[in-house]
Amino acid sequence: MGNKKILIVDDDPDVRHGMQVRLKANHYDTFFAVDAVSSMSEARKCEPDLIILDLGLPAGDGFIVMERLKQMHSLALIPVIVVSARDVRANQERALKAGVKAFLQKPVDDAELLAVIRKALGEPAKRERPECYDLGSI
Amino acid sequence: MKEKPLQVLVVEDNAGDVRLLREMFSGEKRGRFELTHLLRMSEAEIHLAKGGVDITLLDMGLPDGHGLDTVRRAHAAAPDVPLIILTGLDDEALAAEAMTQGAQDYLIKGQIESRALPRALRHAIERHRMQAETDLIRTQQMQFKDEFLSHVSHELRSPLTAVRQFVTILLDGLAGEIRPEQRQYLEIVLRNVKQLHSMINDLFEVSAVQAGKLRIEPQRTSVSDAIAYTVNTLQEAATAKGITLFSDAECGLPPIYADPARVRQILIILVDNAIKFTPANGTVKVQARILEEDPNLLILEVSDSGCGVSPNMTERIFERLFQASDLVAGRKGLGLGLYICKDLVMRQGGQIWANSAPGQGAIFSATLPIFSLSKLIAPAFRKEQGTGNPITLVVTEMGSQTGWLSDEVRAKQSYSVRDLLQRCLYPDLDVLLPKLSSAGAVELFFIVASTDGIGGAAICKRIREQLDEHIHREGLTLSTSYRLLETVIRNERESMEEFQEKVATNIQKLVNEAISSRGVENGQ
Repeated sequence: MGNKKILIVDDDPDVRHGMQVRLKANHYDTFFAVDAVSSMSEARKCEPDLIILDLGLPAGDGFIVMERLKQMHSLALIPVIVVSARDVRANQERALKAGVKAFLQKPVDDAELLAVIRKALGEPAKRERPECYDLGSI
Repeated sequence: MKEKPLQVLVVEDNAGDVRLLREMFSGEKRGRFELTHLLRMSEAEIHLAKGGVDITLLDMGLPDGHGLDTVRRAHAAAPDVPLIILTGLDDEALAAEAMTQGAQDYLIKGQIESRALPRALRHAIERHRMQAETDLIRTQQMQFKDEFLSHVSHELRSPLTAVRQFVTILLDGLAGEIRPEQRQYLEIVLRNVKQLHSMINDLFEVSAVQAGKLRIEPQRTSVSDAIAYTVNTLQEAATAKGITLFSDAECGLPPIYADPARVRQILIILVDNAIKFTPANGTVKVQARILEEDPNLLILEVSDSGCGVSPNMTERIFERLFQASDLVAGRKGLGLGLYICKDLVMRQGGQIWANSAPGQGAIFSATLPIFSLSKLIAPAFRKEQGTGNPITLVVTEMGSQTGWLSDEVRAKQSYSVRDLLQRCLYPDLDVLLPKLSSAGAVELFFIVASTDGIGGAAICKRIREQLDEHIHREGLTLSTSYRLLETVIRNERESMEEFQEKVATNIQKLVNEAISSRGVENGQ
């Protein structure tokens, strides 16, 4: 079975890069988008198994992306995890209502992010900091 | 440019006094002042409310108003209009008191110099204007500062995310092996990143405190759990500094009525603070017990063997941006933790204080109310209804068609369900109990209603209609039922409190039955 595909939508190149390294080490294929528009075209192109979505984006925020995803038949069911610097209180409820699987606030703990990704993808949870073990199998 | 005349309202029932006042203005140029004279407080209130008055001269003895009451009424009718009190010699003390109620000045009748009056009026108006301006600037500054804080803490998060990501990538060897010395240095970076993170959180939190936006959802909460969580979380930080951190809480403490996340937050701030100010080989102890002076309160104590603070500082340390700069060299926080902590404690009905002396350590104490079902259901009892009234327990059950309610759905929906249930109630007669169960296949909501079986059925119908219409279902199952309480007759010798206690016991029994019959964990 091939690796699961994850689309990372974030306008910060360093954050995207950091996630890419971490996800690759855990055997996920990564794809990128930097704003609301490219996230839609990229999602159609790569058909990801999961989307990691920032809320503060150029050309329309993360909530708009979620709405547009919902409107597309082929993309509506892709699980979305929000990773944002925005205030949890003001945004979490709205994001969960919009159907996201989880809301993580930046700076995010990678072990937590991986656990949430596995859960959203329906993969079995690993014990302890799993990325350390993955190292051996690279 | 020609100035508009100042509109002066004179409220005075003594015709002689009014004539004298008018004469004092006769020396002024025409068009500088325009006097309106009214005899009664009720007329003055209407006139003031219409607007256009620049200043009021008010006598405190009117046919329909007397003393400070007239000042309060004038102030209420037009809070922005400056007020000068006219008083007799024998009433000077009262007039001085009026100044604390919003009057700008007072003038003693018979002692007013004719030229001084117009000047006093202009001064009063100017003073009032300056005060209003200062208040406005202050409000704007505070608002700007809060928005700024919120913005800054948001902007700091993204770069911090990247720093943290790459440090952990290096630490986990994802970019190749690292030497022990490199690991040690990276761990120092990570520790500082975490500290920066917690400071940013404090900034966020404090702007929420300022805006009154902190959300607190009180419920039946275990203090022992919160203490265990705190000691667990901060054990590593304490050990790293060579400090012994332990809990010495009494067994079998009653649950408190507070937001569990906020209680953990309070304890984390206090213990973190204690660790910060305690040197190596010191101890930090967390205790909890019922307060001797008031058995309705539980007291949490965090004591340390650190540097302490002088007794005259123990109140100031809870102020915003206070920093113990002269107390300890080295690492400092933002001076926001204790301020946030105080707000959290007070908003949950408690008090917080510190006892300390330099070099003798410090004890931080916070009280929180003990959970009492009987106090919570008090609104459902109508005092005037002597011997008793029917009490009905309405239970709404939220479950999932799959037989399992995931944490996400639970979190997402229970808030909206609570919101809708609240709207189905009469707030002065019915009480939606706080969350009483914690996990399981269903979530239960309890309403104690001051009504009989017919009323109970009506509430159930209202709730079903609301839930059907508004709750986004996503495979949810929702059902509502009611049960009339059996023993609700108040014994003549019983006090209202004793009666409430008895009913509360009954309700608790029913609640427990409902919870255990559905295999739900009791949230104690």
